[in-house]
Amino acid sequence: MLGKIFFLLCLSSAWAEDLCSKAVPPEAYYVRLSIKTALGDKAYVWNDNEMFLFQATLAFAMRSQFSGQEYNVSNIVVCDETPRVSFWFVVTSLEDPSRLVSRGDVEQAVRKSRNRINSAFLLTDQTLEFIGITPTLAAPVAPNTPPWLIVFGVVMGAVFAGILVLLVLPLIQKKRKKNQPMEDEDSDEETQVKTAENGPERSGVYNMSFSDDDKFTQM
Amino acid sequence: MEKRPNWESPIQFVLACVSYAVGLGNVWRFPYLCQMHGGGGFLIPYLIMLLLEGVPLFYLELAIGQKMSRGSIGAWTAISPYLGGVGLASVVTSLYLCLYYNIINAWSFWYLFHSFQSVLPWAECPINSNRTGPIEECERATPTQYFFFRETLNISPSIEENGGIHTGQAMCLLLAWMITYLFIVRGVKSTGKVVYFTATFPYVVLFIYLIRGITLQGAFNGIKYMFIPKMEQLANPNTWINAATQIFFSLGLGFGSLIAFASYNHYNNNFERQAIIVSMINSGTSIFASIVTFAIYGFKATVNYENCLERVRLLLLNTFNIAEDSITNDNVFTWIEKLNTTYPVQFAEIENQLEACDLESELNTAVEGAGLAFIVYSEAIKNMPLPQLWSVLYFFMLLLLGMGSMLGNVTAIITPLRDFKVLNGVSIELMNGVVCLFCMLVGLSFTTTSGNYWFTIFNDYAATFSLLFVVLIEVITVSYIYGIRRFEKDIEDMLGHRPNWYWKIMWTITSPLLLIFLFVTYIVNYIRGGTPTYQAWDKELGKTVVKEYPIFGQIFIGLLLVSSVSCVPLTALYVYCQKRKRGNHLKRQRTVSTVST
Repeated sequence: MLGKIFFLLCLSSAWAEDLCSKAVPPEAYYVRLSIKTALGDKAYVWNDNEMFLFQATLAFAMRSQFSGQEYNVSNIVVCDETPRVSFWFVVTSLEDPSRLVSRGDVEQAVRKSRNRINSAFLLTDQTLEFIGITPTLAAPVAPNTPPWLIVFGVVMGAVFAGILVLLVLPLIQKKRKKNQPMEDEDSDEETQVKTAENGPERSGVYNMSFSDDDKFTQM
Repeated sequence: MEKRPNWESPIQFVLACVSYAVGLGNVWRFPYLCQMHGGGGFLIPYLIMLLLEGVPLFYLELAIGQKMSRGSIGAWTAISPYLGGVGLASVVTSLYLCLYYNIINAWSFWYLFHSFQSVLPWAECPINSNRTGPIEECERATPTQYFFFRETLNISPSIEENGGIHTGQAMCLLLAWMITYLFIVRGVKSTGKVVYFTATFPYVVLFIYLIRGITLQGAFNGIKYMFIPKMEQLANPNTWINAATQIFFSLGLGFGSLIAFASYNHYNNNFERQAIIVSMINSGTSIFASIVTFAIYGFKATVNYENCLERVRLLLLNTFNIAEDSITNDNVFTWIEKLNTTYPVQFAEIENQLEACDLESELNTAVEGAGLAFIVYSEAIKNMPLPQLWSVLYFFMLLLLGMGSMLGNVTAIITPLRDFKVLNGVSIELMNGVVCLFCMLVGLSFTTTSGNYWFTIFNDYAATFSLLFVVLIEVITVSYIYGIRRFEKDIEDMLGHRPNWYWKIMWTITSPLLLIFLFVTYIVNYIRGGTPTYQAWDKELGKTVVKEYPIFGQIFIGLLLVSSVSCVPLTALYVYCQKRKRGNHLKRQRTVSTVST
């Protein structure tokens, strides 16, 4: 038993190395991580342990998509790791290590667990890119009443109230004045006298015909 | 007849003039002209024109209004019965202005209300229905352009194609007119109180923005760009022409608003000092606003430049699979050269994707008008920390500037109408309401999908040519027909002293000559320009394209120009015919007239 497992493991790792030296198969997906862009000072260093985590999360993704099929770290083959931190990977099928899982299946698995994969690496859809798998964008939050309508309603209400006040207030004042005619007559006369003492009244029309511009009669 | 209402204090009058003169043009036209005509050097022709035509013409209009104590039609009829048409032309021009100006306030309201969101709607592209990516039109353009052209205006591809009314815009326009009505409902009594706020608060906001602006990253690049004078621009005649027209329109001459405001003054109000103060404040505000604008420009250009570098850096990293921290924004260019020499084949593949990032060219993009205020500024605001606050402040300031100018525009129509004895019976509230309602209903046509193109027609043609004509007639009338000596005596009567030689020379010689020159230049440019064109938004390309106006558009432009200008000769003709009829009537009755006029 032990011997069989050991044999399979040797075979798969040899197969993996074999795969990497060949041309990129069509089932492969490119992955690119931008750790420093995402995390800045708190960026972790990419090493073999991180790569192991990646393989593990992808195995997890395959397991959750195809329930019952127990994918393992050894099924995720990673090649061409660059200093950029980009590489391509393929998923070998459970029954036959020489066969690769189709692109479509891998894509489905990745899409389903994208969030989990991202959080395992503290990255986002933009910083952990699977070239070819476009991220499903979050549905826009559409509130029932657009917020601008609420502000509009408030302002419109205030303006309307202001106009009403300005129009109605003088009518009320007039009514009050009518109810107190006796007291006001005396004060009116006083004010009238006061205005008569002031300078020339300017409410009339200025009649140009009689302005005496020529003080001296022309010869 | 009821006593003419007055401003409660001279301060109210000054603030009303400031509120009227300081408007959107100070914020979005002057910085553009500064940029186009050599930065700091533009101040020289600007200040010279202020002295030669700005202040004298302002003084002239205030004097007429205060002396005649009537609106523009009544005042000009009193000066010379044949020239009552000048006042009528002013009223017609003001009417056109009222029709389209409040649309800008409607846009300001729209943007203001949309600032109350956690993510500003013009910060990001909205996602398309498939949820695969942003909407294409937004991708080809920028989110701010998309928000302005598609979500605010819902603009059609050309002036010929029309759609329905944009309900959001219509609602904002209704609100703008309601607020205008609220401010002017009781005439000077309500306007006088409102201007305390509309004249002063924009300065508060400008000051806050100045502090915010100069502390932004890259602001200094913009200010440096503006203030370093390029003296060779002074040799360009267009610089001087633009300085003259900017002073002219910025002060709001010729609309009749200044005459209307001054007509509510007491007879002995010292308007000479006030004219100088208001003109200086207006120009000072322009310069102040352009410092703020250029600080923001510098910030925006720097942000765009940095983003461009970032994109190039990512492109290099991804193509050549180099470690992330080896290329930074600073050494992008050295890396480009290095990679070009080491991997020429691979480099050639990405050559066409490589953007040329240049700070100078970012600063060079000069925009004026609504484009500056709504697209460029909102783009800068979205990059600031706490953008909602800055957005609210900015659009509130735009609203105050616009509303303040609207006060003058509507007063210019209502004051002459009030002077007609026929309408004396109608209450002032009702008349104001009818005027506002009429303007709003016509203004709704600007909220349609092709409305913005019609707006541009009005903006470019309704007030430019006719104003030059009106003010030219005004200054010639006062200097030569009414007589400069009579005018001098009137001023002495009001102020207690005669205007000194500087004013008289400006009124009789300099300003008329300057205005004639501007008038002729305008006509020549119009004829030489060929078919008038406009900028249409192309949704496929995601940018504006130049199109020619169709025949009906050109006819409409012609009508606009002719309708206000023709008021002057038509009224003169009408009065002449009336006088002849009356003259014949008198002759038939054989009465001897002892009154020598």
